[in-house]
Amino acid sequence: MKSVRERLAAARGGRIPRWRASVILALRMMLHDKAKFVGTTLGVVFAVVLGAQQIGVLMGLLAKNTMLVDNAGADLWIVPPNTEQAQAGQRMSTQLLDQARATPGVAVASPLVMVGTAVKQPGGGTEAITLIGFDLDTGLGGPWNVVAGDPADLRHAGALFFEDAQRDRFGGLNLGSVREVGGLQVWVAGFTWGLQPFGPAYTFGEIDLVRDLTGVASDQLSFVLVTLEPGADPAAVAAELRRRTPGAEVISQAAFHDRIVGSLLREQLGITFGTTTAFALLIGFIIVALSMFSAVIDNLREFGTLKAIGMTNLDLTRMLIVQSVAYALLGSLVGLGLVAFMADGIRSANLAVIVPAPLIVATPAVMTLLCVLASVLALRRVRKLEPGMVFR
Amino acid sequence: MTAAAERALQPAGPLAVDARGVSKVFGAGALAYQALRGVDFQVAEGELVMLVGPSGSGKTTLLSILGCVLSATDGQVSLFGEPLHGVTDGRLAELRRALIGFVFQGHNLIASASALDNVRLMFELRGVSGRRARRGAEELLERVGLADRRWHLPGELSGGQRQRVAIARALAGTPPLVLADEPTAALDAHAGHQVTQLLVELSRERGVTVVIVTHDNRIFDLADRIVRIEDGQIVPSPTLSPSPTQGHAP
Repeated sequence: MKSVRERLAAARGGRIPRWRASVILALRMMLHDKAKFVGTTLGVVFAVVLGAQQIGVLMGLLAKNTMLVDNAGADLWIVPPNTEQAQAGQRMSTQLLDQARATPGVAVASPLVMVGTAVKQPGGGTEAITLIGFDLDTGLGGPWNVVAGDPADLRHAGALFFEDAQRDRFGGLNLGSVREVGGLQVWVAGFTWGLQPFGPAYTFGEIDLVRDLTGVASDQLSFVLVTLEPGADPAAVAAELRRRTPGAEVISQAAFHDRIVGSLLREQLGITFGTTTAFALLIGFIIVALSMFSAVIDNLREFGTLKAIGMTNLDLTRMLIVQSVAYALLGSLVGLGLVAFMADGIRSANLAVIVPAPLIVATPAVMTLLCVLASVLALRRVRKLEPGMVFR
Repeated sequence: MTAAAERALQPAGPLAVDARGVSKVFGAGALAYQALRGVDFQVAEGELVMLVGPSGSGKTTLLSILGCVLSATDGQVSLFGEPLHGVTDGRLAELRRALIGFVFQGHNLIASASALDNVRLMFELRGVSGRRARRGAEELLERVGLADRRWHLPGELSGGQRQRVAIARALAGTPPLVLADEPTAALDAHAGHQVTQLLVELSRERGVTVVIVTHDNRIFDLADRIVRIEDGQIVPSPTLSPSPTQGHAP
């Protein structure tokens, strides 16, 4: 028979079997009460679905407002001072274009005209559009997500690319359909898909045609789009452009993207979606906290027994943390699966729920943190538990 | 005190349990309740002692102190020479894990774990891992006659079977001391005697010291020595001593 000292050494040293035993036991206890297991998991799923879906919708809405900047193909934008959105209504002199073209390091400088106007419908009435005029030779700021037609056809007189999702609103547009914009006849040369910002859908045309349709003077433009020569230092080129275009602002594509996102988040969009997401997480936190606490209360005698037979507070803490992490990972997996399913189901030209990779990685991490925090109440109860209760 | 009474109170041989002048007061002030009053209680290694007395006499309080799950208000307690006073909760848990097997009144098995896993858990807590833990658990369950029920959950076993699993769990890893609190309370007379007999047999095979708290006089014949406690004090009760032929010399 082992001596007392040998036994104590074995009990002190047997951490791996004890660790294994407590992890397995934690999962067994979690799965044993099936109603509580399902309820708690659904709580986490609910929080993940609501939170991730809200963030996905927010990302989709933000993308609607940054898509022109993201897809125009420019490295640098020359914009009117304090511009926070790439939207219609901005006017600057074409002298900026000349200055940009003459700047060392600039490969291409291309004008962009962006004007809000309307399409006259065959049956009467008008439908608003955001007309974008671009330089066909550079292609910068031209249509993308083209689902019908060839952008080269925009060289033909009166040719425009319309948004496919808006065909019915423009009176049943088809390739070759003729409509009236600004008192002039235009025809449909192609369609894009999903190019609908917060305002009216983007419609693309050759820059001079757009000037003719909207009355923008030939020495006016909305933005100058700049690409850099290979190897050029973007910061140095931007600094030189700033020096040469003192009445305008020079901003990199990434900075312009961030500025648009920042301005939208500072306004209503961020507050609305931030509040909903926070509530989703709070509700998930409460459900998990209550479920875990009630699971501990229901199994108080078992936890007391485990303490009495030699488990330490650390062992029991490990058990609850294992359960928290299991709930978080399982709930995140199911929740993200549902969000992906929903995102696919509700995807349209008007709204795309975007579930980016960082969200997929961050969701289990956030939920794990949340569930571990939610177990604190249960942990406190277990740690205070007197092992002597088993004899009462 | 008569010689028989002295014999009933004193152990022979090296001590597994040594409690001297142990007092326990619950609460404070006007609500204070003294459960134990200067108890001296010793158990020799390998001895099987039954601690008997009426409800509220302090026997479960004494068992809780010996089981390191309750601290004494006053007095000295040691198990196999290891003092219990002034040690941390972590050290007490270590002592429980290393030295003591518990058999509770209500079996207290883990409801979500099978009979085998309940016993294996105790092996693992005592540092025995993997196949050795499983083999040990299977052997013990076979020994208590539940080999064919090892995968059953406690809820799928009868009261007597559950208590037999509890005995197997208590003896997993062969702790030197088993403390049993009213192990027959929830069982009928026949099952109660069988279960206690099983506990006694297995403990004696392994040289384990056993202290059983009970007021079930149908199992008194299984004890080496019976100690009576009343009003928080050990009292001489020679009439409760088992017959010498049934006793076991440690």
